[in-house]
Amino acid sequence: MVTETQLLELCQYIVTVGKDAGATAIEALAKYENQIDTDIELSQISSVNQRIGTGIAIRLYMDKKMGSAFTNIPSKESAKEAVNLAIAAAKVTTEDPDWVGFSHPQKYASVDGLWHKGVVDANPGEMVASTGEIITKGTQSEPGIIIAGGGAGAFSGISAYANSNDVAASEKGTGAFIVEVGIARTETSTTPMVVDYDIKRGLNIDIDKIVKTVADQIRLLKIPAKGKTGKYKVILHPQAYSQLFTYTLLQGARGDNVARGKSMIADKIGDTIASEIFTLVDDGLYPTSPATSIFDDEGVPRQRTPIIEDGVLRSFIWDTYWANKMDLKSTGNATRNMRQGLVEIDPTTLVIEPGTREIEDIISEIDYGYYIQSVQGAHSSNPESGDFSVVGNPAILIENGKMVGGIDGLMISGNIFDLLKNVVEIAKTAIPLFSWVAPEIMVKDIDVVAKD
Amino acid sequence: MFDILENAIEKSRNLGASYIEARGETGFIEYIQMDDSRINALTQRIERGVAIRALVDGAWGFVTTGDIDKLDKAVSDAISMAKAAAPSRREPIELAEVKTFEEVVKANPEKDPRHVPIEEKIKYMNDMTKVIRDYDPRITAVTVKIRTASGQKYLITSEGTKIQSPSLLVWTYPWVSAKDGPKMSAARYEDASTHQGWEYLERVATPEVIGTAAAKRAKLQLEGVSAKAGAFPCICAPRVIGTLAHEALGHLAEADLTVTSAFGGKVGEVVAAEGVSMTDDGTNAGKVGVSKYDDEGVLSSRVEIIKDSVLTELMTNREYAKKINQRTTGNARAESYLYPPIIRMRSTQFELGNYAREELFEGIDFGYYCVDFRGGQAQTNASFQVGIQEAYEIVNGEIGRPVMDLSISGIATDSLMKIDAVAKEPFEYEIGRCGKGQEALVSSGGPDIRFAVGGITFGGKA
Repeated sequence: MVTETQLLELCQYIVTVGKDAGATAIEALAKYENQIDTDIELSQISSVNQRIGTGIAIRLYMDKKMGSAFTNIPSKESAKEAVNLAIAAAKVTTEDPDWVGFSHPQKYASVDGLWHKGVVDANPGEMVASTGEIITKGTQSEPGIIIAGGGAGAFSGISAYANSNDVAASEKGTGAFIVEVGIARTETSTTPMVVDYDIKRGLNIDIDKIVKTVADQIRLLKIPAKGKTGKYKVILHPQAYSQLFTYTLLQGARGDNVARGKSMIADKIGDTIASEIFTLVDDGLYPTSPATSIFDDEGVPRQRTPIIEDGVLRSFIWDTYWANKMDLKSTGNATRNMRQGLVEIDPTTLVIEPGTREIEDIISEIDYGYYIQSVQGAHSSNPESGDFSVVGNPAILIENGKMVGGIDGLMISGNIFDLLKNVVEIAKTAIPLFSWVAPEIMVKDIDVVAKD
Repeated sequence: MFDILENAIEKSRNLGASYIEARGETGFIEYIQMDDSRINALTQRIERGVAIRALVDGAWGFVTTGDIDKLDKAVSDAISMAKAAAPSRREPIELAEVKTFEEVVKANPEKDPRHVPIEEKIKYMNDMTKVIRDYDPRITAVTVKIRTASGQKYLITSEGTKIQSPSLLVWTYPWVSAKDGPKMSAARYEDASTHQGWEYLERVATPEVIGTAAAKRAKLQLEGVSAKAGAFPCICAPRVIGTLAHEALGHLAEADLTVTSAFGGKVGEVVAAEGVSMTDDGTNAGKVGVSKYDDEGVLSSRVEIIKDSVLTELMTNREYAKKINQRTTGNARAESYLYPPIIRMRSTQFELGNYAREELFEGIDFGYYCVDFRGGQAQTNASFQVGIQEAYEIVNGEIGRPVMDLSISGIATDSLMKIDAVAKEPFEYEIGRCGKGQEALVSSGGPDIRFAVGGITFGGKA
């Protein structure tokens, strides 16, 4: 077990070694992670797992030539070797005339509740107990249900960052989760997998809510229903639209894609690109989110960045490199793939402003439409044009104000920017996912293709 | 490494585990990304780590660590983890009996990627960027990624297996963006070898071949017409039919998923039209995903998943082979020491049929010819989706205009029955990175295959 101080000191040591070895600029990011989790298979616990590890990523410049390195051994000796590898790499790469510099010292926000001692102290026995509870309750929640997968876990982590501009920061955080994957046999086949989970900073997981959500869905999906091809109202669960947005809209909101001419909305700041009831904020400081931290992977303070406000495009999200290039300020959205050395721009917690009516009230007024819990194939969307064509699965038919049964092979297609303009209502209660706090949304005139 | 692993296993003999395996890994791993000729990432790393998996009283405990000096603790932790889980099990996990092996398996790359200078790798990427840029003036952005690996994997089990095998990879992947007025398109291509070294990128997956393949598809997308929605006859070319073999059918036949999937309880039953056979072949020499032994030390073999339209055999690991009373097939694979081995595909394909390729097009008034995919996803109810980045209309039996952003779907158990012609010509494999909680490099393929109307649903404007 390493401490926050040890990890930060190691990062600062790397910066010193790099400068001594002739680096023009250098940064080091170290992450320690400890996770205990369980696996469920066929309504039993199959395995208890522990993953402990430290990763240290280094990026440096020799003049304007970049090199990076990674080591999973948190010692000064390995750190020094990694610095040498990064320097060797930088010496032979090509010059990047657009590179300006790393981040500079700034003040960090303080967010309460990111670390809970109870989670750090959690032992395998506790994980097995909560897994056992969800298996027992899940199995009893609906006739024929099989808890096909899922598990419980507790994780704690420490991050430290230092660079040659005297930025030095560290923080620690915890989290816990329980996942239930339910499935049931139907007369001819099986239902799709239904997944629900709860993830919190502490151990206060709501098992009963997960069990009820999965059971309610399985109950509906056991009843076969037929869909119709045409343009219909569709309610999208955040599990469904978060995937669609991730592979289309949010690619267009990434600063690097904007700068590289890969975004459909690059010249649309200030324009209305969505329905006026639609507000989407990237909130790096959202208090209860597992994706919250006080600084990003370049040591830049996390912040709240409105992307779309009342339908109007307000901002893109940036890291230091691309913000510098475009003469802007980083929004604290740098994410580093520790092992690959790639720094990319990623959202933090995405918050969609809720509406005024509960989802049940919205559904009760739909004569004919669909409720789509998740989608297949969002990753095969065209991130540049925003075109998507996916299978809604699980997909549930809504008739006369009621959810009546599950439909196999229901496709929905369109362009994400048309979809955004057709958002007609947003439910009142947000459903927290790993990096989303978002209610169901209702979209009109979606092209639906039902399997014959 | 073997000494350290053996020591740890020896010391655990009296701790109550019925089976313990230690998987060690040391190696060189490299990732380079070039965006519009700019190096955006260049990381070389030496990684070292160990995974310990213990079966105690019928439950698994798994510990992964980079700290190989403290393996005794990792072993005792894995045993404690398993003991915590064991009382909750209704029936114990048991493993199928297997032959043990002691072998050092060697790779013979001509050019070990570890020793190829970075300059050469950057030149490869610059050359590819130029090939793509020169292909069409409407190409606006080019990203090229390469990954290489060169290392050793070590497996020791408490039963006496002791295998050292190579971990070798060269992987190349361009992403191309193009723009014409308001219309934007994107396309990707991907190739890799897990048996050859850098020479594979010099001779087979060259900047010209791979760059042109990606650029051509981005251009076709710009010029493509919209897809019609609904049901049409469909011919899938090798890269798409391979994806269907993997996504739509392969996952349903992974024994850990089969029990709760649409293939559950159907072994021995007709699940496909006449003349359809599909295999996952762990002996398909030289193909990505294939190795002599799997990560449980089981000899890789060929699995006849569908033989002459009948669901014949499932892919197993030792645990599921015992559970379903089937032979072990060598499908247990782990991405790295950070993960336990689970049931994965290796080289999955539809077998050749009797039709000449041209015959497949005969009699189709209107349909689609799907040539290359962008990604796919399956669900347990046999529902599949595949995004298509290269497709053409078929009009009056002839290949017609290109189609943009097509997406196909179906219920695999229905679609298999709608196959009405399988071509006899040999095919090239595509490689993919399959995600099932961890990544596995796989190869897939098959001859051109025709689906009658109703087998495949096309997304689009209703």
